Amino acid sequence: MILGENILLALQSLRANPLRSFLTLVGIAVGIGAVLYVVVLGQITEKRIKQRLESLGSNVLLIRPGYSRMRGVRTGESVVNLKWSDAREIVSTSEVIAETVPTYTAPGVAQYKDQSWNTRITGTVPAYEAVNNDRPIEGHFFTQEETNQRARVCVLGATVHEKLFGNASPIGEPLTIKSKRYTVVGLLGAKGESWWNPDDQIFIPLTTAQERLFGVDHLSTILAQMRSSRDYDEALFDIETILRRNHRLQADQDNDFRVRRQDLYLATVQETTKEIANFVILIALVSLMVGGIGIANVMLVSVTERIREIGVRRAIGAKKIHVLLQFLIEAMVLGLLGGVLGLAAGLVFIRVMTGEALILPWNWIGYSFAICAGIGVAAGLYPALRAANRNVIEALRYE
Amino acid sequence: MLIEMQQVEKVYRLGKIDVPALCGIDLQIEANEYVAVMGPSGSGKSTLMNIVGCLDSPTAGRYLLDGENVSHLSDNQLSEIRSRKIGFVFQTFNLMPRATALRNVELPLIYAGVPSGRRRQLAVQALEKVGLSDRIKHKPSELSGGQRQRVAIARALVTEPALILADEPTGNLDSTTGQEIMEILSALHRAGNTVILVTHEKELAAQTGRTIGLRDGRIETQEEAAQSAAAEQAGSIGLTPR
Repeated sequence: MILGENILLALQSLRANPLRSFLTLVGIAVGIGAVLYVVVLGQITEKRIKQRLESLGSNVLLIRPGYSRMRGVRTGESVVNLKWSDAREIVSTSEVIAETVPTYTAPGVAQYKDQSWNTRITGTVPAYEAVNNDRPIEGHFFTQEETNQRARVCVLGATVHEKLFGNASPIGEPLTIKSKRYTVVGLLGAKGESWWNPDDQIFIPLTTAQERLFGVDHLSTILAQMRSSRDYDEALFDIETILRRNHRLQADQDNDFRVRRQDLYLATVQETTKEIANFVILIALVSLMVGGIGIANVMLVSVTERIREIGVRRAIGAKKIHVLLQFLIEAMVLGLLGGVLGLAAGLVFIRVMTGEALILPWNWIGYSFAICAGIGVAAGLYPALRAANRNVIEALRYE
Repeated sequence: MLIEMQQVEKVYRLGKIDVPALCGIDLQIEANEYVAVMGPSGSGKSTLMNIVGCLDSPTAGRYLLDGENVSHLSDNQLSEIRSRKIGFVFQTFNLMPRATALRNVELPLIYAGVPSGRRRQLAVQALEKVGLSDRIKHKPSELSGGQRQRVAIARALVTEPALILADEPTGNLDSTTGQEIMEILSALHRAGNTVILVTHEKELAAQTGRTIGLRDGRIETQEEAAQSAAAEQAGSIGLTPR
């Protein structure tokens, strides 16, 4: 029998029990939607990390405080030993470090007119702009002079801008942080969210942050830019030597700071993202399996309901293979419809959650359809075989 | 000779006991005969009709249908024979509830592998023959009992089978509608078809050419009937011989 006839027949029979068919589809749809979502999210994250890597370059080291220890037990990242002087000494002493960028970051609330936004305030120095390759798309980064004057000026990340100003230009506008007015001098371009949102922060001069806003004298991080990525070992040695001496560490004491290569760190993030994605895909596969069991169940019911019909079809000339195909194709159509539903839901979800222009992972869409058809066939096989192998006479007599 | 049975036996196995349903049936039916089969329940009537209709194979004996030995065919081959040579009309109509009259009549042609254009044409013709050309788009639920049975008859004759097997076709209908169906069957016979009618009503059997009485798995009586009344009525339906 022609394939088209069977597909028509399958759709007809699914339409006869719309709710039952829909509920069966959902199992498959959830699985496929989840797979698609994770795959696309993985692709988006990877793309953004690549962009970050390209903008960061491979020659930036990130120095952070070490973990504080109580009798050898790690208790948290509360060490306050990184100082601006450390940063200055590293760049002036080491021949392989071209620049250091000290930063201090703390949470804070920014207000503009009646809008307020809970964000992170990062105090840093003008060199931040060059080392991170993060240039304002409007206005300018604050200057050395503004830093020296502990000026109340700020540069906005894209998210902060959007939350407080919408589409309006923020340059020259007053922003209130801890009831003090700051003038917006620059706006950074959106870098996009990955494992955290770098667009959700406000940059102010480090002097202003430490002395006027937060009243601290330590740093959160120091970025150290090497002259060349080949100098890694030497740079690491220099940083360790200087910091250990400044922090008066004895030979038997561990470092109270951590040094990380940004590119390697991002690579680790990428790895982790992939691992998480694989795990979620595994869960989604379980959901697909459950969906398949749902299809098998519904097909068994459907076969039982239609025993008489099977008998009639056989009596008027249908061969076993015709009946087998009829139910197999019905199961497959059920699976494929679930796939279509899942893909549509997944794509909408991605659009809503990430706001990204859609990257359609065609290969995954292809796999999804193959998987759905496969599940349909696997789930439908046993019910279809039962239908085909029914005794014709008994089937005709079935009430 | 359309149907030739020699010493056909059918034994069912219930657990460890063999239950004979047919014990040595000898039966001949010519092409273009109109035959009624009667018998009380348990007489082997259904078993015989299952074998005649190629739904089942005999345990022993020989069954030639249209010159072809169909006593020991595989399931697939039996399906093939049913598709080409036999048209079934059931007591409960057994139409596909979600399909239109036209689709119902097309169904056997789909299994016979007839291309869709030709299929439609043949189905429309068959529906015309049973007087339902104005109901082809209706679903069974939108038709009366008599109309449903006429759709079922159209479905049985659309493949131009050698044999139309009607199993109590009027059993679910009131007597007036039942008589209409009987007239259609007579007309089909007049038009050249071979019809076997399974019934338990003597009046209906009387409208056929020959009545075969079954009892305890054997043919007990065979009597020719006066056929004039049936022939008269067949003429009024207006079927042309094929």
